[in-house]
Amino acid sequence: MPLDHRRLRGPEESQPPALWAAAAAEDEEDGEGAGAVPRDPCALRPLFARAGLLSQAQGSAYVELGSGTKVLCAAWGPREAAEPGPGRLLCEFRRAPFAGRGARSRPGAAAEREAEREAAAALREALEPAVRLGRYPRARLAVSALLLQDGGSALAAAVSAAALALADAGVEMYDLAVGCALCRPAAPAAAWMLQPAEPEERRAAARLTLALLPALNQVSAVLGGGRGGPPEDWAQALRLGLDGCHRQYPVLRQSLLRAAQRRDAAAAAAATSA
Amino acid sequence: MAAVVLSEAEKLYIVHGVQEDLRVDGRGCEDYRCAEVETDVVSNTSGSARVKLGETDILVGIKAEMGTPKLEKPDEGYLEFFVDCSSNSPELEGRGGEELGTDIANTLYRVFSCENSVDLKSLCINPKEHCWVLYVDVLLLECGGNIFDAISIAVKAALFNTRIPKVRVLEDEEGTKEIELSDDPYDCIRLNIDEVPCVVTLSKIGYRHVVDATLQEEACSLASLLISVTSKGAITSMKKVGKGSLDPESIFEMMETGQRVGKSLHIALQKILDEEENLGTSRPKVGFLG
Repeated sequence: MPLDHRRLRGPEESQPPALWAAAAAEDEEDGEGAGAVPRDPCALRPLFARAGLLSQAQGSAYVELGSGTKVLCAAWGPREAAEPGPGRLLCEFRRAPFAGRGARSRPGAAAEREAEREAAAALREALEPAVRLGRYPRARLAVSALLLQDGGSALAAAVSAAALALADAGVEMYDLAVGCALCRPAAPAAAWMLQPAEPEERRAAARLTLALLPALNQVSAVLGGGRGGPPEDWAQALRLGLDGCHRQYPVLRQSLLRAAQRRDAAAAAAATSA
Repeated sequence: MAAVVLSEAEKLYIVHGVQEDLRVDGRGCEDYRCAEVETDVVSNTSGSARVKLGETDILVGIKAEMGTPKLEKPDEGYLEFFVDCSSNSPELEGRGGEELGTDIANTLYRVFSCENSVDLKSLCINPKEHCWVLYVDVLLLECGGNIFDAISIAVKAALFNTRIPKVRVLEDEEGTKEIELSDDPYDCIRLNIDEVPCVVTLSKIGYRHVVDATLQEEACSLASLLISVTSKGAITSMKKVGKGSLDPESIFEMMETGQRVGKSLHIALQKILDEEENLGTSRPKVGFLG
């Protein structure tokens, strides 16, 4: 978003009032949490995916998770690049300024750009094994993901949306990359939970994001950190995540199929009316 | 990363050798190259260390400065990482080096994101007002493959060597606070590095994985897994790098190997650091001339 230098943009430093209300709110939240039914750690939240919604981009996809995460992704097919060599995949990840629950992040802030660059690098790691870059020598493929609302598991949703957008753009791929996130709360022998919501992710002691190519059963990205414990715990988390990816795969395939059917119907209607 | 160009025949030679647990320089798949670690090489820092792992040369300097704590964690200090790779090779000057530098810095932030890696509460002077900020500056002097491992070893050695001066906060009757530095230059706090993790990079070559890959071996490997392990064998972060994909079974095997190798790495490093500590001022300093 371009900055308008003629306007007074307000104070340089601003803080959300929620920071000072944190003490009172935390007690309320904990009280509610203890009384509420603990959620099933292996339950997958409802996933809504739709491909082919932007008319300007060659391929696009929108993924929404039950916890409120909304990601919109657009992809552009091969464009001529000056550098020789195999094709390159350029990924971009942007967060809307109002996406997070905490303070509004200023759009040009350095910390914001760092986080976006890191997420873009992770996105590229996850998608490169899936795309047949050898078929596009001297070409550039661009993918741009926009996070509209962060309700937890944002990177995982972005991976799925980006893979869908690339497939929708007609780029040759080995398989769709499906993303899944897990987290583990701070309690001593807590179990790993699939697709955490934002409050769970914030309070987690360890987080893990995976991307899988389900048909080939190959893991294309692993990104995790925190107090996980011995390798057996992480192995168990990985297995749970892989299972979650396999279960989400049919939904993504269906959305791609529907988008192709819609496009065919629209083309047929345009042909008959012309 | 500085890339090395290999012919197909050379790559095949390396891959076939690794299948038989024989690498080009005669090591096994889980052996490290000969490493040299030296602390206190730069005198203007609070702590410094230099690590030479085969051809890879890393210099880490830590400066402790006073700053304000972060809003979300008012009673803790924090670490800031900065990585500079421009002296490495001409292709890494300017933008290329900056990208690699931020990539390494982000990995370091992730590795140290676990709360109990470094005791941050001991870095607090006055909650909400003053705390110690440790600026960790990493210089990549030469890249000879496996830079993440070397950097994490150097950071751990530099943290062990860090001496933070003791400060006292005096409060007047009006409530204004004054910071007083103690007069004795040797009166300082040392950090406890028992929980500081080390990164082990496992590169997948063919059907097996190797530890501490050289530049040539990295050119043959399509995917690597970076695991950070503490001395007790707990894994604090995982990241896959590279253009290829990994089989889930390989990931499980790599985690097991990483934990085993990481534990022995910690034991060896702690032995060297303790030896240096015991020699004290009578230690012969090698520096950059040795």
